[in-house]
Amino acid sequence: MTTRFVPIVEKYTLIVTEKPDAAQRIASALDLGRKAKRMKKNGVPYYVAKRDREIVVVPALGHLYTVTGETSRRNFYPVFNFKWAPRYAAEKGAHRIRQWLQVITDLARDAGTFIDACDFDLEGSIIGYSILKYACDNKETVSKRMKYSTLTEEELEKSYDEMLPHLDFALIEAGRTRHEVDWLYGVNLSRALTIAAKEWSGNYATLSTGRVQGPVLKFLVTREKSIRSFVPMPYWEISAELKIDGQLLEAKYIKQIIQTKREAEAIQSACQGRNGHVEKIETKQYRQLPLPPFDLGTLQREAYGLFGYSPKRTSDIAQRLYLDALISYPRTSSQKLPPVIGYKDILKNLSKVAEHKGLAAELLAKPELKPNEGTKEDPAHPAIYPTGKLPQKTLDGSERNIWNLVVRRFMAVFGESAIRQTMKVQVSINDHVFFLKGIQTLKAGWLHFYEPYARTEETLLPRLKEDQMVDVNRIFLEGKFTKPPPWYNPSSLLRKMEKVEIGTKATRADIIQTLYDRKYIRDERMALTDLGFEVFEVLRNHSPTVVSIKLTKELERRMNQVRESKEKRENVLASVIEILKPIMNEFKEKQKEIGEQLSDAIRRAKLQERIIGTCPTCKTGNLTVLRSRKTGKQFIGCTNYFENSCKTSFPLPQRGTIRIPGKNCRGCGWPTVQVFVYGKRPWTLCFNPRCSLKEKRMRRVEMPNMQPRS
Amino acid sequence: MKCQICSREAKESGYCDLHSMAHESITRKYERWNEALGISWKEYLSEIAKNPLTGEWTREVAEHLKKLEKR
Repeated sequence: MTTRFVPIVEKYTLIVTEKPDAAQRIASALDLGRKAKRMKKNGVPYYVAKRDREIVVVPALGHLYTVTGETSRRNFYPVFNFKWAPRYAAEKGAHRIRQWLQVITDLARDAGTFIDACDFDLEGSIIGYSILKYACDNKETVSKRMKYSTLTEEELEKSYDEMLPHLDFALIEAGRTRHEVDWLYGVNLSRALTIAAKEWSGNYATLSTGRVQGPVLKFLVTREKSIRSFVPMPYWEISAELKIDGQLLEAKYIKQIIQTKREAEAIQSACQGRNGHVEKIETKQYRQLPLPPFDLGTLQREAYGLFGYSPKRTSDIAQRLYLDALISYPRTSSQKLPPVIGYKDILKNLSKVAEHKGLAAELLAKPELKPNEGTKEDPAHPAIYPTGKLPQKTLDGSERNIWNLVVRRFMAVFGESAIRQTMKVQVSINDHVFFLKGIQTLKAGWLHFYEPYARTEETLLPRLKEDQMVDVNRIFLEGKFTKPPPWYNPSSLLRKMEKVEIGTKATRADIIQTLYDRKYIRDERMALTDLGFEVFEVLRNHSPTVVSIKLTKELERRMNQVRESKEKRENVLASVIEILKPIMNEFKEKQKEIGEQLSDAIRRAKLQERIIGTCPTCKTGNLTVLRSRKTGKQFIGCTNYFENSCKTSFPLPQRGTIRIPGKNCRGCGWPTVQVFVYGKRPWTLCFNPRCSLKEKRMRRVEMPNMQPRS
Repeated sequence: MKCQICSREAKESGYCDLHSMAHESITRKYERWNEALGISWKEYLSEIAKNPLTGEWTREVAEHLKKLEKR
């Protein structure tokens, strides 16, 4: 009898990552020679590393599976039956995913060990879990988990050596619940709105709302209503112009708001021509602690305030910096920096950059490095910090801005408290009290490290003594009006969402973007469109629970309990279905009425979209993009043209698409348009033929010709 | 019945919900304006209609009320 020789082939370890960049970094970090082999199959990259055994690292492309309805029909509601399916089966244009999943399945077939190395948060956990379950034949039960907060080689190696024995199933369950709840809300309500509008008008327009989107729209509508129905109230302010040591200073009257003109004028005449008497000087010193390290929300707000970046843009830039191993994982709500991250090593590395060298050296010279941490915590990740790795390629302007900001904030956290002093001088003028206020920094402390980004006010007052007499140059009265509340901007809306705890750090920026995409809001100031108003009105009238902040918060609480294994996913889903059932019935009953209301708003929104601004000639009409019926050419014309009262028109380029950015020309203040021509960079066009910037440009062109020849 | 200013459904006041809100605001605030500046209702309407800080709906209602006054 002969024995057949069967070679024992050791099976490799398969690591699944969230993105291709992360796969490459993980594979290189785990390879003994720090250089993993890049492979490609059917256009899908993966990496082979040699360590104690062969390791294959394959990336995902974010979510490869998604929640979808049990049937492929899309034009009906309610729909409460769903399943998880590959994205290519649920979404248009996701064909690439089919091949991607096939490659993962093929690689899984010969693997012996499975490791999930996706980002350690809700989204990452769902991505890894669904791939291991569906594409790797139920390997989620035997898979191990790598947990890391930076993509540096050291941390990745440590994470591999100390990997968790299994997936975090509570986190996965919480992620599944969130996706499924949001799908139930989003699909049912969005379909109800879209179908109602289409059935009435025959035209298709995507309308949407969701569990978080509805309440966010409510914030915007409430604010917009107060702005649009605002009546400014008159009031007066009184100031005294004092002359002290040749310096002119403005002291404010004790009562900041004077409500009647009569009273204001009486005070003015009582003080006019009198001298001032310094009655009291109060100085106070206070310590200003360093700002805490960045969590995602504070980074997004700071970047908006400093550079004008939208929360989504900041989040995308931070993600790129993380994938380049320059900063730690950005989707964190932590304001803590544990010592394990190695403060000194990070600072030593940062000192290799010329612009950070001096500051890093100052901190390294301190006997102890102790960060001033904030109160917020995140069980999975620390606050955002620079890894100490230096950019290997040239960062673009926005990437450098965010990286420098993270670096400086990290340094500032270790700085000492700043010492500031305020000075309040009470000056009496004919028994009327005025105040002079000064503020100065006595010791910069952490402000020195955060210098380019710290916004501190400095007002120095001259030397003054109590009982001193001061000259009063004049008393002036200023009539003012109260201002309406400000519109939300991306930063303040984000803060509001964080404050009322709706949405997650990973989804808030996307929700804001969706409101723009659906044309519910426009411009940076987030002005609500008619469409935004009508969608809200429909929801408020027919499904008030959908825009209820209380209900959304309650759902958030229950979903967080799933994360802590204190609540069951099934219970949360059953409650959501019970909430949605009567709402969907009401929508069905009132579909015609809702459809009419929405269709009208869509039509007005389309008109509004084409309006560029008020006509500078007649001042009553609106300038809009029109097309001539005779020639077919596009141009800008006044809406009063149709009433034969204004013939203002301006030519436009005939090629390309015209969009209205909602910004005025910095030269003449006229509204502008943006021109998009395929293959060319879009440009902003001021159509004012007499714009000062155009004249300047013309002069620059003419000038060289006017130079006398030598 | 349609709102006297826009195409939305009107309430008893002749204005829609949104313009009614602005109308109430105008009426409520007049007393304070009168106290502050000693001006008539007509002057008040003109003042708020031309003030750049006035809300869009308020301005529309103020203009509408001004027209009614003229009649």
